[in-house]
Amino acid sequence: MKKITLKRAASLTMAVVMTGSLAACGGNGGSGKGNTEASAEPIPTIDQITVGEDYKDLEASIKVLTNRTDIVDTVYAGYAQEFMQLYPNIKVEYEAVTDYEESLTLRLTTGDWGDLCFIPTSVNKSELGDYFTPLGSYDTLDPIYNFCTEKSYNGTVYGIANGGTANGVVYNKKVWADAGITDIPRTPDEFLEDLQIIKDNTDAIPMYTNFSAGWPMGAWDAYIGIAATGNPDYMNHDIVHTKDPFAKQEDMTGPYAVYYVCYEAVARKLVEEDPASSDWESSKSRINSGEIASMVLGSWAVQQCKDAGPNADDVGYMPFPITVDGKQYAGAGGNYAFGINKQASSDNQIAAMLYLKWLIEDSTIYEDEGSIPALKGEELPDALADFDGVELLSDNPPAEGEEELFNDVNNKSEVGINNDDYPNCYLLECALYGSKTLDEVVAEWNAQWTQAQEDLGVEITQ
Amino acid sequence: MKKPASAVPAKKRSFMEFMKRREGQRGLVIVLFMAIPLLLLAVFTYIPFLKMVQFSFFDMKYIGDRTFVGLQNYIDVFKRDDIFGALFVSVYYMGGAVVQLALALFFASLMVFKVKGDAFFKGAMFFPYLICGIAVGFIFKFFYARGFVLDSLLQLLGMEMEDIPMWLQDQRINNISLAATSVWRYTGQNMILFLGAMMSVDSDLYEAASLDGANKWHQFRYIILPSIKSIVVLNLILSISGSLSAFEPPYVITNGTMGTGTYFVIMNRLAHENQKVGLACAMAIVLLAIIILCTVAQKLFFKYVFDDGTADESKAAVRRRKMEEKAAKKAAKSGAMAQSSVSGKGGQK
Repeated sequence: MKKITLKRAASLTMAVVMTGSLAACGGNGGSGKGNTEASAEPIPTIDQITVGEDYKDLEASIKVLTNRTDIVDTVYAGYAQEFMQLYPNIKVEYEAVTDYEESLTLRLTTGDWGDLCFIPTSVNKSELGDYFTPLGSYDTLDPIYNFCTEKSYNGTVYGIANGGTANGVVYNKKVWADAGITDIPRTPDEFLEDLQIIKDNTDAIPMYTNFSAGWPMGAWDAYIGIAATGNPDYMNHDIVHTKDPFAKQEDMTGPYAVYYVCYEAVARKLVEEDPASSDWESSKSRINSGEIASMVLGSWAVQQCKDAGPNADDVGYMPFPITVDGKQYAGAGGNYAFGINKQASSDNQIAAMLYLKWLIEDSTIYEDEGSIPALKGEELPDALADFDGVELLSDNPPAEGEEELFNDVNNKSEVGINNDDYPNCYLLECALYGSKTLDEVVAEWNAQWTQAQEDLGVEITQ
Repeated sequence: MKKPASAVPAKKRSFMEFMKRREGQRGLVIVLFMAIPLLLLAVFTYIPFLKMVQFSFFDMKYIGDRTFVGLQNYIDVFKRDDIFGALFVSVYYMGGAVVQLALALFFASLMVFKVKGDAFFKGAMFFPYLICGIAVGFIFKFFYARGFVLDSLLQLLGMEMEDIPMWLQDQRINNISLAATSVWRYTGQNMILFLGAMMSVDSDLYEAASLDGANKWHQFRYIILPSIKSIVVLNLILSISGSLSAFEPPYVITNGTMGTGTYFVIMNRLAHENQKVGLACAMAIVLLAIIILCTVAQKLFFKYVFDDGTADESKAAVRRRKMEEKAAKKAAKSGAMAQSSVSGKGGQK
C-alpha cells in the first residue's frame, strides 16, 4: 500500500512540475513587475547626476546588451574596465545579441533582459514608458544631447542616441583625383558625369551598389528627405501630405533626384558588372584599395572602410550631390539609443544611468566609431571634414496626433521608405534590364502612395 | 463472494470504484499519456493555425489596432499579379523536383548492386542534406558569384569569361540556378529513401531474373520499380508540394530580387517589411489550399492513369484476380442459387 502511495505521489509531482514548467514562460513578466513596485527609491534624472562624484558607494552588478558582436569582448569590454576603475563597486558586464532587433523585441516583454540596452526600433514611442526609465524631461535634455526627439514621448526622454551619423557618399579620394576630378559634384548630373570620367580614366568601379546585401539599396531612402529637400519637416510631415511626392521636379531636387542618380548610374553601366553577386564585406577593403571609387552609404561606414585596409587616408566622405537653392544639406540621425530597464532594481537603474552618462560623455566611443557625438557642441568626426558649407539637419518630430501616419502610409503603399529594400532593388532591376523607365517606376510608386493616402483619409495640402 | 453482490441490479458502482478497477485504470493511463502530446499539438500547431485563419480576416499589424475586413485580404491575394506571378516561379522548382527524383532513382539503382566504395558514395551524396538550408544558400551565393567558383571552373575548362552567363542576374537562367541548389541538397536524401526501399527486394529475384536472361534494365523495370512504386509516388508528392513553398534558396541567395521571388518570399516581405500581417495570413491559407489541391490531384492522377501507387499488385492484376474469384464462387454456387447470384450480387464488389 505504501509503495503505491509513494508512486502516486511521485507521478503527481511529475505532472505538477511539467505543467508548472509550461506555465513558467508566462509567469516571469508578472513577478518582475511586482518587484519594482516594492522598491520605490526615487531614480534621479540623467542631468542631475555627476559621474565620478555621486553614488561612489553604490554596489550593483549591471548587464549591458549590445548588437556589436564583433567588438563586445574587446572595445566594449575595455570601456567597462575603465568605468569599473572609477566605480570599483559597480560591476559592468556586456552581452552581445545576434539578430539583435528581433530577439530583443521578444526579450523586452519579459522584463528580465538586463539593465541597459539599445532600444529596438520596433518599440513605438507610445510604448517607451512601459519598458524604459525616464531619463529626464525633453526641455532639459534637448539642449544637452543630440537626437533627443527620436526617443521621447509626451515631453519625457526615454533614450539617448549612441551618437549619430550623417548621410553622404563614401569615396576614394585618390581614385577621384587620379581620374582628374578636382571639385566635388554638387548636382546629380555632375555626379554622373564624374562617374563616367572615372570609368573612362581609371580601372575602378565608379559606384558600387552592394545590391545583393539588400540593405545598401534600402539605404538610398535616407537621402530623399533633408539631403534632397533641405526641409527638416519633409520626412515626418510633408511627404505624407504631398500629392505624387516621387514625381520629377524641375530643379532636380526631392526624392526623384535621388532615385535618378541610382537609376542612371546603373543604366549607364557605371556600377559593378554583376550586382547580384556583389559582396559587402569585401567592398570595404576594395574601396580602401581603390578598386571601388564610391559607395552611397551613411557616415558610419567611413570608419569601417578606413579600417579595412592600409589606405585609411584615401577614404573620404562627401555630401550627396543635390543642391537646393544654391545650398547643400545633409541629414543627420541618431544611432540606436540607450535605454534603461524600468523593471530592474533601483540600484541597478542608477548604476546603469551612471555608466550611460560616463559612456556618452567621457569615454572615447565616438572617436572610435567615427560618429557624431551624443553631446551637443562636441567636435564632429573627421569623416565629415569635407562637409564645409553643408548644413547638417535632423528630421523634426511629426505633428501631434500624426506620430504613426508616415509609417501607416508607408506600409500600406508598400513603397517601403527606410523599411523595405525591395522597391529600391526593383528600381535597380528596371535600370539593369531596361524593362521600365525611371518615370514609369516613379509613377507606380506615386499611384501606390496616393491610394494609401486615400485609404487612410490623409489630407493633401501640397 | 462477488457474484451475489453484482447480481443485485439496484446497486450502482460509483465512479471512484470504477476507476480502481482494471478497465478504469487502463482508461486513466490512456487519457494521461495522450494528454501531454495532444496538449503540445494543440498549443503549438492547432491554436496558432486557427489564429492565422482568424488574422486573415483582419487588416492588422503585429502590434496596434485590428480592423475586420471580411474577405478583402483573399480578394487582394487573387487580384494582385505579383502574388500569383510568384507561383509561376515554382514551376522551375517543380522541374527541379522531377530531375532530382530521376537522379536519385538512377544513383540508388546503381548502388543497390555491388559497387566498390558504395558507403563513401552514399555518404557523399547524402551529406548536402545535413547542411542547413541557410548555409547551403551562402555556399551557392559564392558558387555563382561573378568570377568565383563556378566561373573559374568553367574557365579552367576553356570557356571565355564573356561566354559565361551571369548565373544570378540573367533572368533566363537565374531561377534554374536557384532550383539547382535544391536539387543538389535533396537528391541524396531521396536516394537514401529509394535505396532503403530497394534493399527490401529479395535478391533471389535478381538471380532468377538473370537466369531467365533479363539484363539490368529489365531487372530495374520489372523488379525494382514495381517494388518501390509507393515510395516513388510519395517522394514525388512531397517534392511537388515542397517546390510550391520553396523559400530558402531565393531568400538567402537573391532575396527574391531579379524575378526570383517565390510565393513564400513575397509572403515574408509583405508580413515583415510592410507589416501586412492579415494579407500574409490569407496568402498562407490560399497556398495551403493550393497544396492540398495539388496533392489530391496527384493522388487521383496516379490512381487512374497509372496503377495505384500504394498497391502491391497492379490494377489489371487485381481486376483479373477478382474476376477469377467471382467465377469460382459462381461455379460453386451454381445449381441451387443460380438465379439469385446473377441478378443480386452483380459486379459491384
